[in-house]
Formats: sequence, structure tokens, C-alpha cells
Amino acid sequence: MAGFRIQKEKLPGGVVLVGVKGFLDAHTFEQLEKEFADLFDAGSFRLIVDLAGLDYISSAGAGVFIEAIGTSQENEGNIILMRPGPNVKEVFDLLGLSQIFTFKDTREEALQSLARVGA
Amino acid sequence: MRGSLKDRLTVSNDTRHLLAVRDFTGRMARQGPLPPEEVHKITLAVDEAVTNIIEHGFNQGEKGSIEIEAEWEGEKFRVTIRDSARVFNPDSIPSPDVQEHVKAGRKKGLGLFLMRQIMDEVKYRYKDGTQNELTMVKYVKAK
Repeated sequence: MAGFRIQKEKLPGGVVLVGVKGFLDAHTFEQLEKEFADLFDAGSFRLIVDLAGLDYISSAGAGVFIEAIGTSQENEGNIILMRPGPNVKEVFDLLGLSQIFTFKDTREEALQSLARVGA
Repeated sequence: MRGSLKDRLTVSNDTRHLLAVRDFTGRMARQGPLPPEEVHKITLAVDEAVTNIIEHGFNQGEKGSIEIEAEWEGEKFRVTIRDSARVFNPDSIPSPDVQEHVKAGRKKGLGLFLMRQIMDEVKYRYKDGTQNELTMVKYVKAK
């Protein structure tokens, strides 16, 4: 589907880095929803999502993260968010999600956050 | 800003048109003296409103059209969204306690919450017994 793209990379310790690009709205959110579902089915609950390439998110997109963090934390994992642009961060702030999600600027900091989870 | 600037976009009830809705809204909002971050938030509010209509206003497979009219009137940017979907009055839905909502993993109702947070006015009426009409207004704030 044009407008939204996902890239994945395996990192040390079973962590998966998910990079998202484009826009995450009511038309594209199901792609990310499916991606998270597939990762959880495969037993990957420790995720880093790099938001640097995400130009736009609406509540449909935020909803995917809300559901996913619940599942990951129930399975002793977590989802760390990296490098949101100001427009994307604003939506997380407006929805109060900045109190629920951890934001990091670098891959190393994000990995360190996850290293403390499920240890 | 003097005078008025008005334009209109009509789309069918399909989420693939949300990008066009955002592009139209952004283009119109940028005609006035709003800072870029406010333009973006208004675009988001309109996206949320149109998404609600598409997702809740029509039955599966039902075709419909949604008209988005944007207008600058002095220091006010007004977006009026008209649709022929089933009657839906957002005033009947209280804003969720977002923190509790999110903790419970619930995502419904967040769009309406954002619309009310972002826009200075959100008004609804059911016009002529045939049409939902949602009007949202953003004022240019004095510095």
C-alpha cells in the first residue's frame, strides 16, 4: 500500500527494530497492526520502533501502538519509540501517550531500555 | 487577513481519500496566518472527523459522499463537513478520560477527543432532515 512502509532489522538479544515511513492513518494502520501481530506470533515482544521517517499519525495509528504495548508488556516485553518528529510527538502528547511510552533518541539508548525489561 | 477565501472538496466514503482531504485542508489553512504546527493540527482534526464519518456513518459496502468546505473569514478558519450518512451527533458522545481509555487499551473515541482538543469550536447539526453538518473553527490567536 502506497504511503506507508515498514522495514525490520534484528538486533542483539532478540530485539527487533521496526522502521516506519510515510503516514499512519485510518487507511494504512492495518499494515502496522498486522506487522505487530506477526512479530508477537513469532515470540518477539521486545521492539524498538523508529519513527524518524513517519510524517503523520492520526488516532488510528496511535491506536495500533496502544494495543501493541499492552500485549508486549503482558509478555514481559516493551515497545520503545525512537526519534519522533514534532508533529508525531504532538499527537502522542495530546493523547497522553507520552506518559506510557518511552522515547529514546538513539538505538543504543533504546536497547539499554529494553535490556532492563524481562531481565 | 481581509475578506474570505473558500473552497470545497468532495470525496467518497473511502479511507484512501484521507490523504487528499489532508492535502486540501492544509492548503487552505496555509492561506492564513497560522503557524505550521497549528496547520498540521487542524489537518489532523479534519482527518479524524472524516474518518469517523467513513467508519461509523455508513453500512458495509454502502456508497456515500462527504463534502469538506474550508473557509477563511477574517481571523477564523472554518471547516464544514457535510455527509449523507446516518445521523451521527458527536455531541452525544462524551470525551473519554483518555488516560483510563489508554490504560484499558481502548482506542475508540480518541479521534473525537483530538478534534475537541485542537479546534476552538466543534458544532454539529442535522440539516433539513437529510444531512449531517459538522462545523469546526480555529481562531488565529493574538500574539
